[in-house]
Amino acid sequence: MHMLTPRFHRTKKLGLAVLFATVFTASTRAQSDDPMLKAMKEELAREKSQLVLPGMEAPYFIEYRMDDFHTYEAVANYGALTREEESRQRVVRVTVRIGNYEKDSSSSRGDGVVMIAPRDNDPDALRFALWTATDDAYKNALRAYTTKQAALERYQSQRAENDFSKEKPTTHIASLAKLDFDRDEWKKRIIEASGLYATAPEVKASADQVQYSTALFRAAATNRYLVDTEGTVVRQGYAGYSNGISVGEQAPDGMRLARDNGSVAVTAKELESWPAFRKQVIDDLKSLDDLRKAPLVDAADYHGPVLFSGDAAADTMTRLFVPNVEADRPEPGTAARTTGAYASSYKARVLPQFVSVVDDPLQTTFAGRGLIGAYAVDDEGVPAESVQLVTNGMLTNYLIGRSPIKDFPNSNGHGRAAPAAPARAKAGVIIFKPANPVSVAELNKRLLAMAKEQGRDVYMVQTMGGDAPRLLYRVHASDGSRELVRGATFDELDIRSLRSEIVAAGNDPYVSDSLGAIPQTIIVPSLLFGDIGVKRANEEQQKLPYYPPPPTD
Amino acid sequence: MKRNKVVFAGGGLAGLALGAALLPGRVVEAASVPAASQTLLDSMDAELTRAMHSLGSAGTDSPQQPKPYFLSYAVADSDAFSMTAQYGAIASSNESKRRIADVQMRLGTPEQDNTHGDHRTSALTTIPLPLTDDRAAIERSLWFATNRGYAKALDGYLKVKTEQQVRAKEEDGSADFSKEQPKTDLLPPAPALHVDKSAWEARLRDLSGLFKQYPDVFFNTVMLQASTETDYFVSSEGAKVATPNQVARLIIIARTRAADGMDLFRAETFEADSLANLPDQKTLIEKATAMAKNLVDLRTAPITEPFNGPAILSGRASAVFFHEVLGHRLEGQRQRGDEEGQTFTKLLGKQILPSFLSVADDPTVKNFEGTPLSGHYSYDDEGQEARRVDLIKDGVLETFLMSRLPIASFSNSNGHGRAETGRMPTGRQGNLIITSSKTVSDKELRQMLIDEAKKQGKPYGLYFEDISSGFAVTTRRSPQAFQVIPLVVYRVYVDGRPDELVRGVSIVGTPQAALNRILATGNKAEVFNGICGAESGSIPVSAVAPSMLVSEIETQRQAQGTARPPILPPPPIGGQEAK
Repeated sequence: MHMLTPRFHRTKKLGLAVLFATVFTASTRAQSDDPMLKAMKEELAREKSQLVLPGMEAPYFIEYRMDDFHTYEAVANYGALTREEESRQRVVRVTVRIGNYEKDSSSSRGDGVVMIAPRDNDPDALRFALWTATDDAYKNALRAYTTKQAALERYQSQRAENDFSKEKPTTHIASLAKLDFDRDEWKKRIIEASGLYATAPEVKASADQVQYSTALFRAAATNRYLVDTEGTVVRQGYAGYSNGISVGEQAPDGMRLARDNGSVAVTAKELESWPAFRKQVIDDLKSLDDLRKAPLVDAADYHGPVLFSGDAAADTMTRLFVPNVEADRPEPGTAARTTGAYASSYKARVLPQFVSVVDDPLQTTFAGRGLIGAYAVDDEGVPAESVQLVTNGMLTNYLIGRSPIKDFPNSNGHGRAAPAAPARAKAGVIIFKPANPVSVAELNKRLLAMAKEQGRDVYMVQTMGGDAPRLLYRVHASDGSRELVRGATFDELDIRSLRSEIVAAGNDPYVSDSLGAIPQTIIVPSLLFGDIGVKRANEEQQKLPYYPPPPTD
Repeated sequence: MKRNKVVFAGGGLAGLALGAALLPGRVVEAASVPAASQTLLDSMDAELTRAMHSLGSAGTDSPQQPKPYFLSYAVADSDAFSMTAQYGAIASSNESKRRIADVQMRLGTPEQDNTHGDHRTSALTTIPLPLTDDRAAIERSLWFATNRGYAKALDGYLKVKTEQQVRAKEEDGSADFSKEQPKTDLLPPAPALHVDKSAWEARLRDLSGLFKQYPDVFFNTVMLQASTETDYFVSSEGAKVATPNQVARLIIIARTRAADGMDLFRAETFEADSLANLPDQKTLIEKATAMAKNLVDLRTAPITEPFNGPAILSGRASAVFFHEVLGHRLEGQRQRGDEEGQTFTKLLGKQILPSFLSVADDPTVKNFEGTPLSGHYSYDDEGQEARRVDLIKDGVLETFLMSRLPIASFSNSNGHGRAETGRMPTGRQGNLIITSSKTVSDKELRQMLIDEAKKQGKPYGLYFEDISSGFAVTTRRSPQAFQVIPLVVYRVYVDGRPDELVRGVSIVGTPQAALNRILATGNKAEVFNGICGAESGSIPVSAVAPSMLVSEIETQRQAQGTARPPILPPPPIGGQEAK
C-alpha cells in the first residue's frame, strides 16, 4: 500500500494561545518524587563507585538516558479505517566513557548500549536493566578504547580538540508530556478525508483516476530521563501531532502524480480544523486533475529566474543548508573541521549578504502557534542556546553538541537524539532573517521584470516533492499569467546557488514543522533565485493500470 | 492456514486502543466479534471475478498482456495480543488488529508460469485491507494490489520465458502448478479475543520476578501471546474457504554466562488454544524455578570434550531432531530446483530409517494426549484440505510434504502448502509424528545406552534432555550439515557413578548417517511446539516423538562467547546501596 511519508506543512494559523510550553521548574521536591530518576541515580552511584575490572581503568563518565514513547497512529484508505495502533515503550540507553575528556573511548558513530526498559514504574526492574546495560557498555568501552588508541598511532598528528566537552551540570525537571486528543473525532476525519475522492461532489467525477487515497493521523509523546556522573538530572518531554492526506494517480503518459499535505502541531487542537482539512483534500484532488491535464515542461533546458514560495524554499533549505551547519566530528586522521559541504566555510560567505540565520530552540511560538522544534535542554543535558549561524551571509557558527570540533570546544545545546539513538548535533528552530524583505507582490513584480528584460518566460515553484518541484508554473513574460507544467526537475540547485543566486526575499515567513525522529522547525520566506536550471526529469514512464478500478457508485 | 508474523523481541506488536475507556482491571472486549465476514468474502469474490474478466488486453489473450490463468485472494483477519515482562516488571503490552490480503497471480499455463525457478515470488503481492466491512474500500484495495500483482507477474513471466530459452534442460521438468479440486467450506469463525490484562500482568510479573532469587541469571523474559484469526481464501478455480485459528502461548527465556564466557540459556514454551487453557500459575512457577536452578548448575558444570559415541535423546529432544534433520528435507519443493541438495529425492521407496520407525505428518490432529499441537490446521494456505500424510512407513520413504508445486515423483498437493502472510506457500510441516514399534521403558533404554557404551569402549554415553532447534542447511552449496543446540546434557557413566551435567555440547553430522543409527526408542512420546522458519516464512508446527537411543552421535564443542559474566552483582532489591 502506498505509504504516506511526506513532510507536512502548516496550514492556517488558528490564533490560539500556545498550549504547550516547557516548564522550568527545578524544585527538589519534584526530583525526589520521581521514582524513575531516583532508581537511575541510585544505580548510577553504585556503578560509579564499584564498576571496574581489576587492572583496567574505571569509567570517567557514565550517562543513563531513559526514553519513554507513547505513540498512536491511525490510517484510512479509500474511506475506511485500515490500521489503528497504540504503543507504549521504554528503552534505556547507557553510555560509558573510558579515558578522560581529552582522549576517550568514544567514536563518531556514537556509542552506548540500548535495552528495553520496564513500562511499570518499577525501580528494581529499571535498575536491573541499567545494570546489564552498564556492564555491556563498560566492556565495549574498554575494547573501543584500546582499539582507538592503537588506531590513532597510525596518524602523523592528533586532533587538538577534546573528545568530550566539559559542561556545567544541569538540573531541569519539567512535567511529563501526555497525549491529549479526540480519538474518535480524528478517526472519523481521516476516514471521511480518505473517501472524499469518491463522495465529494466537487471531485467525484474524476474518482476513477485516483489510484490511492490515504489519510493518516499520528500522535507521539516522548519523555526523556537523563542522569550522569557529572551531576546532571533532567526530565522533560514533548508531544507532537500530525494529520495528512496522500493522493495519487497517473498522467496519460504514465507519469506518477502525487499530492501530500497535512498539518503538524504541538497540540491536537492546533492541527488544522476539519473544514481546512477537507478543503485541503479537495484542493489536492483538483490539483491532481490539473496536473494530469498539464503539459510537460519544455524539452529545452532552462537556466534563469525561479521564484520559490516559502513552502518550497523551506524544503530546499532543509535539504541543502541545515545538514551542513550541524557539526559532525570527521574521521580521525583528517584535518577537516567537520563533515559536510560547509566544513571549510567557517567565516566564509554561504548565503547572500542580506540574509542572516539563527537557530533558536528557545523560541517556542511564532505568530501565535507552538513550534515543534523548540526545546529547553538538549538530550545531553546542556541548556539550549540561540545560535547565530549566519550573519550577513557569513557562516559564523555551527550547531554542536558535546563532541568538539576545531574552534568550538563547547556545546551550544544542540546535541539531540532520535529515539534510542546517540545524540548528534541537530537543528531545533531555524529562522531565516532577510535584512530587507519585500512583499510577495513585489517579488512577483521583480520576477516579471526579469522575464521581460530577458525576453523569455520564467518559472515559479509553489511546492516541492522531495528534491523535485511538484507544483511548478511557467510565468509568461507577456502578461505574468501562470501555466502549470509537470515532469520537471531542478538543475544546479545547490549550495553555490544558495550563496550567489538569491536576489530577493519575501516578508512571508513560512513555518515548516517536521515531526520526524527529531522534531524540527524551519522558517523561510519566499525566495527569488536569479539563475536556476529547470529541465525534464525524464523518469521511467510507468504503465497505466491494466484494468479500471471498481465503480464507485 | 496463514499466520501473521509473530514477533519475538521484547518490543512486541504495536498496540490498539480499544473503546473509549480502557480502565485497568477491566476485561478487554474486542470492538466487534470477528464473524466469518460475508461482506469480506463477497468483496473478494466480486473483485476477483472482475479482475479475471478484465485483465489481458481487450479481453483477448495477447502475448503482451496475457490473461491470468489463476488468481487467488487470501485474507488473514487477525487480532493479536502480546505482553512481555522482564526483571519482574511489564516491558510491553500491545494489541494489534490487522487484515492483510495476499494476491496470487499466475500467467502462462500450469505447465510453465511466472513462478518458475527463481521467480516464485513474482506471483505474490500483499496489501493491508480495511478493518471494517466497507465493500467499496475493500474492493478498491484489492484492485490496487491486483493491478500491481499483474505487473509483477507479467515481469516474472517474461523473464521465465527468456531464461527457459537459454538455459540447459532441467533435471525436474514438472509443471509449475498442480491440478486440484477447489473446495468450499466456511468453518465457524474463531471466538473474539478476551484478555484479562491486569490478571496476566500480575502473573507475568511474578514469573519474571522469581529469577531475582538467582542473581547469576542476569537476563530473563516472559512473553505472553494470544491471537485469534480467521483466514479467507477465494480463487478463480471456485475455491471459497474460511478457517479459524486461535492460539495462546507463554514463553520463558532465561540466560546466564559461565565464568569462562560461555553463554547459556534455557527456554520453555507452553501452548494452548486459549489463555484460559494455559497451565496454572503454580505449574509455571515450578517450571520457571526448575529452569533457574538448572541454569545455575550449568554455570559450574564441566565443559564437555568432543565425543563420538552412543546417546539418548529425550522425547522432546528427538522431536526437535526429527523436525530439523528429517522434516525440512521432506518438504516437496526441496526435491526440485537447481539450488537444493535433494538429499532424499532419489531415495523414494528405499529404507532411510530403521524399519521399526514410521513418520507421519498429520495437521488434522488437535491434541496429543491432552497437549495441544501447534501444527494443527483444517485448510492449508492454498485452500487445500489438510490430511494425514504417511511420509515414512516402517523406515521406507513413501512421499513428501506437498504444496501445489509438483515434483518429478508427485504431481499433486497433499494439503501441506503453508506460508506466513506475505510469502508464497511451499511444502511445510504441520504435526510431525514419529512412531516406533521397538519400544522399551526408560529404564531399559538407559541400560541399553550403558551396554552400548561399554561395547564401544567409551567411559560414558550422553543423555540429551533438552535441545533448541538450530538451522537446517539443505542447499547445495553448503555441506549437508545440521546443527541443533543442546541445552541440557548429561554424561551417563558405565561405571555407575552419578550422571554428570556438562556444558558446551553441540551435535553435528550429516542427516542420513544420524538417522540410520537409531537402535531403539522409549515408550512415551513427548511434544515439541514451536515456530518454524523457512523460505515461506514463520509458521507454527509441532513434532511428537519418543526418546531415542542412537548408537553413534558426533558432538563438538559449542562456539563460545568471550564476554565475561557481569562484573557487579545485580542491584539490591528495594533500592539503595552505593558505598
